[in-house]
Amino acid sequence: MEFNRVIGTRRSIRFFKSWRPVERAKIQVMLEAANRASHSMNADYFRAIVVNRDDLDRETRDALRNPTTTADLDLAPTYIFWYIDLNYVEGAQDRLKELVQQHALPSSHGWSKAYVDDYLWPQVLEPISRDPNSVVFMGAVETGIAICNAINAAVDQGLGTCMHAFTANEKLKPLLGVPDTWLPVWLQLLGYPAEEPEAGGQRPRRPLSTMFFEGDCGHPWEEDPEVTERLKREGMIQEPGPFPYRAQEVLMLSRMYGLPE
Amino acid sequence: MTTGDYTAAQPAAPGTLRGDTDKFAQSPAVTRWLAETAGPVTDLAGRASALESLQGFCAFVGAGPDELVAQCLRPTKSGGTAISTVGRRSVNESVEAFAAAQGLTGHDAIVLGNRLRGFLIHNGIFLQGPASIS
Repeated sequence: MEFNRVIGTRRSIRFFKSWRPVERAKIQVMLEAANRASHSMNADYFRAIVVNRDDLDRETRDALRNPTTTADLDLAPTYIFWYIDLNYVEGAQDRLKELVQQHALPSSHGWSKAYVDDYLWPQVLEPISRDPNSVVFMGAVETGIAICNAINAAVDQGLGTCMHAFTANEKLKPLLGVPDTWLPVWLQLLGYPAEEPEAGGQRPRRPLSTMFFEGDCGHPWEEDPEVTERLKREGMIQEPGPFPYRAQEVLMLSRMYGLPE
Repeated sequence: MTTGDYTAAQPAAPGTLRGDTDKFAQSPAVTRWLAETAGPVTDLAGRASALESLQGFCAFVGAGPDELVAQCLRPTKSGGTAISTVGRRSVNESVEAFAAAQGLTGHDAIVLGNRLRGFLIHNGIFLQGPASIS
């Protein structure tokens, strides 16, 4: 799928083909996409555990359930638990120097191993690493960037996915062997969509001018109509929902799975 | 808890809405539920069946439909209303107990439970039950 169409086709999928497992190869593509995402300091911020729903024992599956996340867990055949590893700062000093060595952080822009060792690390990064709020903030941002790559890789391969909060971390920790330094971020549910990939049409978004500015906040971004039209042709901007048959689609899927109407 | 004026479901001829069910259907919460699902549940038999399920559940827990919704809510410090985690969990457990008490298992238990959850959902209580996938 072309890049712009991947972006435009992404939806939060809530009806999965519960009977169809996700090929391990496709999951690996998602993980590699996450691994290739931007990593500030080239630090390893995130961890993820891939679990097949049907490999979980009853106790673990029940631990995940709560009054607001239950049907999704039954329908999605694959779960990816995403975490921040709060120890990501460990080793970051050496990894920064690797980037200097590779000229990814070039001397043309002021970088040197000495700068990393003598100033950046002791005066900036190490103090930040002792501030829990900063650690979580950076970890959350960087993990989110990685997850975004994984989501788009899923869409590119014809998979459906949706992000969910997970609240059962304390119960899950011993069951999944999660270290104390891992902070839960998102539960990514994954599978083949039982609903159409368009899931009733593209979700409503506000015009660019409401969120983006040019020069200063007093000048909203003005869209170039030609670019907008091109993005429609290329699939980033798609037909808005709801499609005329969306309510019926949801009703039929709900009946198939015995869900509330 | 009180059952108020509500009583357990009485057998009704298929396709009719009469007697106690009519009275039950006039409660604000039931009215809202039926209005919200008027599209999908258009046939009288379907509506009667759904109402009977809800009536039976209300009798089972000893609460009217409006009380049932209220049990899932709590007042906030600012004077508003929020969903009660404890109340919602309790009602959710009662839903499962009711299905079990009817002798239902598997798909049938899930469908009945989710039909009852639908009543709460359309009254603003965010709630999920299991899906039937086997």
